[in-house]
Amino acid sequence: MSKEDALSISGVIKSYRKVKALRGLDLTVAKGESFSLLGPNGAGKTTLMKIILSLVRADSGEAFISGIPVGSPAARRGVRYLPENISFPQWATPMILFRQLERIRREASREEFMERCSELDCADLAERPVGKMSYGQRQRVALSLVTAGRPEMVFLDEPSNGLDPAGRIVVRNLIRNLSSAGVTVMLNSHLLGEVERTCGSAAFISRGRLIAQGDIDSLSRQKGMALIETQDAPAMIEALSSAGYGCSRADRGVTAVMADSEGFRRLCAVVLETGVPFSGVSLQREDLEEVFLRIMGADGSKEAGDVP
Amino acid sequence: MFLNGVEQLIRRKIVLVAVLASLAFLGFYWWGVSAAAASFSRGELTAWDPQTEMLVEMLNPADAALAALITAVPLAATLITALTIVLGSSMLPDEISRGRMPFWLSLSQTRMRVFLGTGLAPLAVSLCLSLLLLAGLMTITGIYFPFNPRSIPLALLSMTVWLTVVWASVTVLSVLLSKVASMVITFFLSGVSSMFGGLYELIRQFPGDAPPAILTIAKVTMVVFPADRGFRGLLYGIIPQDAVVTQNMAFFGVSASVPLLHLAYGFLWSLILLGFGYIRFRRTDF
Repeated sequence: MSKEDALSISGVIKSYRKVKALRGLDLTVAKGESFSLLGPNGAGKTTLMKIILSLVRADSGEAFISGIPVGSPAARRGVRYLPENISFPQWATPMILFRQLERIRREASREEFMERCSELDCADLAERPVGKMSYGQRQRVALSLVTAGRPEMVFLDEPSNGLDPAGRIVVRNLIRNLSSAGVTVMLNSHLLGEVERTCGSAAFISRGRLIAQGDIDSLSRQKGMALIETQDAPAMIEALSSAGYGCSRADRGVTAVMADSEGFRRLCAVVLETGVPFSGVSLQREDLEEVFLRIMGADGSKEAGDVP
Repeated sequence: MFLNGVEQLIRRKIVLVAVLASLAFLGFYWWGVSAAAASFSRGELTAWDPQTEMLVEMLNPADAALAALITAVPLAATLITALTIVLGSSMLPDEISRGRMPFWLSLSQTRMRVFLGTGLAPLAVSLCLSLLLLAGLMTITGIYFPFNPRSIPLALLSMTVWLTVVWASVTVLSVLLSKVASMVITFFLSGVSSMFGGLYELIRQFPGDAPPAILTIAKVTMVVFPADRGFRGLLYGIIPQDAVVTQNMAFFGVSASVPLLHLAYGFLWSLILLGFGYIRFRRTDF
């Protein structure tokens, strides 16, 4: 475990009666990283998050937050957690809830809270009872409460649940801002598009074991295809097909399959030679959904060592 | 956590209803006592003395105060017991079922602090309302029938023990069982304990007439659920010491004496029960 590790987990095992939720999981997250736990339902993501937050006790293994064992309250100083589907008292206004929270954590000022509310577009709700808010408004308020001030580490469990597209963009920006401010963010979300846009790295968990971990960019592979952006797709398809490339129509032009990694340069030369007008040629990489399916399998049944 | 819990409770409708019910209760009590006081001043509180075969004024104002308090306090106690059970059974389970417990536990605080802070809030609210009722009853009674209570400190201590036993049992049961089950069981135990507490006083008064089995059951009840000793201590502490009717107080359910050991036992019993509840809470996965 390095001093720069925000999280360090080794050999964590947890069973719920006969169900083994975690089977000796090891994981390290660097400080300031925006990180996501990915895996199918029942993989052990939530259990892992709860063990880190000391909400669930591990049967064996060790877990540390900034070098402090997770069982100690000191480990959770500066740590914030937004559970999925939290329900605040209907009568409470965000200001009351903030006051209640600060009685315990004493880490943020009223001004910092209002600043965060403004960032999340809910400053006008500060004095409105929670019972008179929509689900999306409540979620924004909850995020403001959790992230107000200067947290060191933020755990978000499905933060975009119930939010409209505008709300999702706001959450996305919040995670980016936190990350750029050096806050370690751990995101648990089924919305892979959101994860891809906000997180730098991810861990894939299946059946209680870590299957793969790393930067999302490094986990994503080239697909052996290139996108040629053109207005005249039929002409480009005809020209490339006659040059021996397998082509198909894409949203913004044509995709061409390359034989090998050296093929991209050759393809660019062929595209130039066709004389068909085009605006760009780019390599196609897997998006996170494709990475997920490759690593986890369609049914999420892959085990450690099976990763292709 | 404690202040948050109290704030959360006092905003609940049930507490508002209990406060209004208490004020209404005191209002009716005032009305009734003032009417009785008017009769008393006209010399209507007299009794027939069979020995002299004369109508004599044998009751002084303290006796009237005793009668008034003995009538009102058990009714007020029922209200307080019900409120303590409802609030005590809902605080921890509500925080858990609404998903707020993981939120509180993820903050930089120990589980002990969360358990006691959340759990103590209902006891504090119940004690405040009990004090309001007790002070109201004593004041109203004292205005119309001046009297000297036996021991206010003993009454306050006993009241605290009585409510602590009820609160501790409902809090711990609410961690182990469902909310409704914890309420029903505690209410049942309170009722049984109260009944056997009264029987125990009667049996002590007339030991020769009672089957020994009942005395044994009463004693076992007092050990298993010692709330009633606190309640009898409260009655013992507030009744007028200058009342003429000082014998056979068991008829009114008042103890002849309340050993402090009984109160200490009730308090210790609550601590042990809470300790058990805390161990269970600490081991729970949220």
